[in-house]
Amino acid sequence: MDSLAKNITEKKLFENARVFIAPMRTQDVVTLEGSVLGGSNMLPRSLRETPFLASKLFDAGTKKHDKKNLRESLAARGASLSFSAGGDRTYFSGSCLPEDLPFLLQIVEECLSTAVFQPAEISSTRERLLGRLKEQRTDTRTQASNELSRLLYDETHLNYAEKDAFQEKSLKSVTRAQLVDFRSSLGREGLVLAIVGDIDTATALRAVERTFGRLAKGTQTSVLKKKNTKAPMMQEKRISIAEKTNIDIFLGCVVPLTYESPEYLPLSVLTHMLGGSFAAHLMQTVRERDGLTYGIQSYLSDFGKDLEGSFRIWATFSPDLYERGVQTIRKEVKNFLSAGLTENALTQKKEERTGSYVIGLSTTGGLASLLHKIGREGKPLSYLDEYPRLIRALVVKDIRAAAPMINLDRLSLAVAGTFTK
Amino acid sequence: MAKTKTAIPGISFIKKLDTIREYKLEANGLRILLIPNASAPVAGCMVTYHVGSRNEAIGYTGATHMLEHLMFKGSKNFNKEKRSTIWHLLETKGALVNATTWFDRTNYYEVVPKEHLSLAIALEADRMRTARIREEDRQSEMTVVRNEFERGENEPMEALDKQLWAIAYQAHPYHHSTIGWRSDIEKVSIERLQQFYNDFYWPNNATVTIAGNFNEKEVLKLIAENFGVHPKAPHAFPDMYTQEPKQEGERRVIVKRTGANMVGIAHKIPDGNHPDIPALIVLDMVLSDGKTSRLYKALVDTAKVMDVTIYSYQLHDPGLFMTYATLTPGTLHELVEKRIKKVYAEVIEKGITARELAYAKRAVRVALGHRRDGIYATLSALNEDLATGVWERFVTLPQEINTVTVVDIKRVAKKYLVEDQSTVGWFVTTSH
Repeated sequence: MDSLAKNITEKKLFENARVFIAPMRTQDVVTLEGSVLGGSNMLPRSLRETPFLASKLFDAGTKKHDKKNLRESLAARGASLSFSAGGDRTYFSGSCLPEDLPFLLQIVEECLSTAVFQPAEISSTRERLLGRLKEQRTDTRTQASNELSRLLYDETHLNYAEKDAFQEKSLKSVTRAQLVDFRSSLGREGLVLAIVGDIDTATALRAVERTFGRLAKGTQTSVLKKKNTKAPMMQEKRISIAEKTNIDIFLGCVVPLTYESPEYLPLSVLTHMLGGSFAAHLMQTVRERDGLTYGIQSYLSDFGKDLEGSFRIWATFSPDLYERGVQTIRKEVKNFLSAGLTENALTQKKEERTGSYVIGLSTTGGLASLLHKIGREGKPLSYLDEYPRLIRALVVKDIRAAAPMINLDRLSLAVAGTFTK
Repeated sequence: MAKTKTAIPGISFIKKLDTIREYKLEANGLRILLIPNASAPVAGCMVTYHVGSRNEAIGYTGATHMLEHLMFKGSKNFNKEKRSTIWHLLETKGALVNATTWFDRTNYYEVVPKEHLSLAIALEADRMRTARIREEDRQSEMTVVRNEFERGENEPMEALDKQLWAIAYQAHPYHHSTIGWRSDIEKVSIERLQQFYNDFYWPNNATVTIAGNFNEKEVLKLIAENFGVHPKAPHAFPDMYTQEPKQEGERRVIVKRTGANMVGIAHKIPDGNHPDIPALIVLDMVLSDGKTSRLYKALVDTAKVMDVTIYSYQLHDPGLFMTYATLTPGTLHELVEKRIKKVYAEVIEKGITARELAYAKRAVRVALGHRRDGIYATLSALNEDLATGVWERFVTLPQEINTVTVVDIKRVAKKYLVEDQSTVGWFVTTSH
C-alpha cells in the first residue's frame, strides 16, 4: 500500500502545537478538526459543567464581533464552525470553501481568545442545555449508559457519570466569571490542528501561523489521573422509564489500561472480533441466529491519556425479550472467549480492519479526525502508515493474552426502559 | 435519447452529464451510471430498485423494508452453506455494506477497497433474481425488524413524524412510514414478501451506480457478465396510481407519551421534479439552515426551543415541507406553533432579502462539494435523485437553485405555506 503519510505535512509550531495539512483531491471542501488543552478533567467536580457551557457560547459574541456579526460572517461564506468540551481538551471543528480557510481560522482564534459570554446569552444557552438534560431523563440509551459508568467507577473517578440532578445543579451554578476564567486559561499550548481537503499546504500553514500566533500561550496542563477504587463486581441496575417500547442495555467492566498500553491494540481487535461489525460474533449469534435484537455491539470506551476506561456491550431489546437477550449475551461472550479466538478469525479481522481503514480515510472528515487523534495521543505522523502494519503483525497469542481483561464473572449490567415484570 | 454502441457487447452508451456517464444493458434494460473519482483507492457499488413503501398497501406495510432485511439471507451463489455471505466475503475485507429503504426506492450498497469491486458487483447481480426469501428467515428477522420499530417508537421525533404523515395523507401510501405498522411487521406472510420480490426485483426496474476508482471498460464488462444473465421482467410493474385527494383545511394530531415536548408543522408541496422545488429548497435554508436562519433566531436564540429543523422532502409524488421544534421546559406548544407560523407569515408578506438569498446559494455550493467528499456521499445523493425518477437532477438541480430569485421565494412561500394545506402535530410529554 502506498504511504498515506507522504502527502501530509506536519509542522510543530509554538509551544508543543502540532499542525497537520493534508491536501486531497476534493473540490470546494475543506475540513478542519482541532483542539486545545483545557476541559472538565482540569476542574473540581462542582465546576465540570463550565467547559460544556463555555463551548456552546464561544461563537455567541467576541470582543471584536457581536453574535449577529460573527454568525452572519460565517453564513456569508457558507462556513460552519462548532465547539465542544471534552475531558482534557476543548474541541473545534468546521468546514469552508478553500478561499475562506484563513477567515475560518481567524474566527476560531477569536472565539477561543476573546469570547465575551454576555449574560443574556449565558441565560438562554443554559436554559436550552437544562432542557436537554431533562430530555435525557427519558432517553433509555443515555440513562443506561450513564448508569453503567456509575456502577463501574468510584465517584471521584474522571469517568464517573454524574447523576442528572447533580449535573443540573452544576450547570445552574456556573457564573460568567468562571466562564471567562476557563476561556482565559485556553491557549496554543498543546494545540492540535488537522486541515484536510482542497487546500495548498504553504497557504494553509501561513494562515495557521499568522492566526494562532496571536493566541495566548495558555495555562492548562494535563492533570494526574486517579485510579479507579471501585472493585469490579457483577451487579445490575434497572432504570424504569414509562411508556418505552424498547429497552437499552449496557454490560461492561473497567479495563486497567490506557491507550498507551501495549495490550490496548490487541484488546481493541478482540473487542471488534466480538462485536464490532455485522460479521462479528455477537451480531451473528444474538441477532442473525436468534433474532433477539436489531443491534448489538462491543467497544472500548472512555480511555484517555493516563486514563483507564471500560469494555462495553450495548444492545437493544423488546421488553419481553431482554432477559433472554442478556443471558444469551453472557453465554456468547463466554463461548467466544473460549472458542472464538482462532487464527482464521483473527486473519479475517486483520483484513477487515486494514480495509476499512483505507475506506475511512477516503473522506476529508475521516482523515482529519484520524490526524487529530494522532496529534492528541502524541503519536508520530508515521503512525498513519504504521497502524495497518501493527494490525497485520498481531498473532493469536496477543489476542488470547488480552482476553482475561474482560472479566466475565464481574460484568456489570445497566438497563433502562419499561419493564413488563 | 440516441444510443450508441460501446466496446462492451450488449451495453449502449446513453449520455454523459457532468462527470456521470449513463449506459444501458440492452438485453434486460438495466440502467448503469458511472461516476469516476480517483482521489482514493476506493470504489462503491449501489443498486437502486425503484420500489419503496409507496408500493405497499394495508396488510403489508413495511414489506419493502422487511424484504430488504431478507435480501441479506443469501442467494444462489452467495450463502451461508458456501460460507460466502456478503458479510463473510465483503465486510471481512473492510467494506462498508448495508441497505436502506425509503418511500420511493430501496438500495443495496458496498463501498470497498477498489480491488474488491468485482465481488460486490457479482454479489448484487446474484441476489437481484436468486435471493432466498424463506419463512425460517422471516421468523427470526421479524423480531429484529420489530425491535428496529420499537427503537424508533422510543424517540418522540419519530413517533410524531409517523403521525404527521399518517394524518397529512389519507389515500396515498405516504400515509404509512417505511418501517410499517407493528401488526404488519409481525404478520406479513412469506408469500406476500416473495410476491413483492418477484413483482419488483428485476433489472429493468433497477439502476446500478458505480462510483470511485475503477476502470470503466472493466466495470462495464463485469456488469454485462453478471447482470446480463437475468432477463427483463416478464410482466409490467404494478402501477401505484392512487393520488392524494385535495386537502381542505388544517388537520391536527396529538401524541401523548414520555419524552420531550415537540411541535411539528407539515405543508403539502409538489413532487421532487416540479419547477417550484429549487425555490422551496432555498426557502428551507433561509428558514432553518444554521444560526442565522429565521427560525433559529426566533426560537432557539430566545430559548423557546432547543432545536428547530426543516425537512423539505423531494419525492416521486407530492411530499411535505415539515418544520420540527423541541421545546424547552416550561414553553407552551401554542406559543411555538404561533411563532413558527409568524415566521412563515413574514416571508409570505415581505419575502426575503437579497443577502439571505446569497447566503443560501453559498451554502448550496458548500453542500455540493460535500456530495463528492467520499464515495458513499456521492452514491447516496445520486440515489435520492434516481428515486424521484430523474437522476439528471443531481447535476441540474444546483444550476436551477442558482437561478432562484427573491421573488420566487415569496411566491412559493405564499403558494405552499398555507393553513388549509397544513397538518399540525404536538408531542405532549406525560413525564414531568
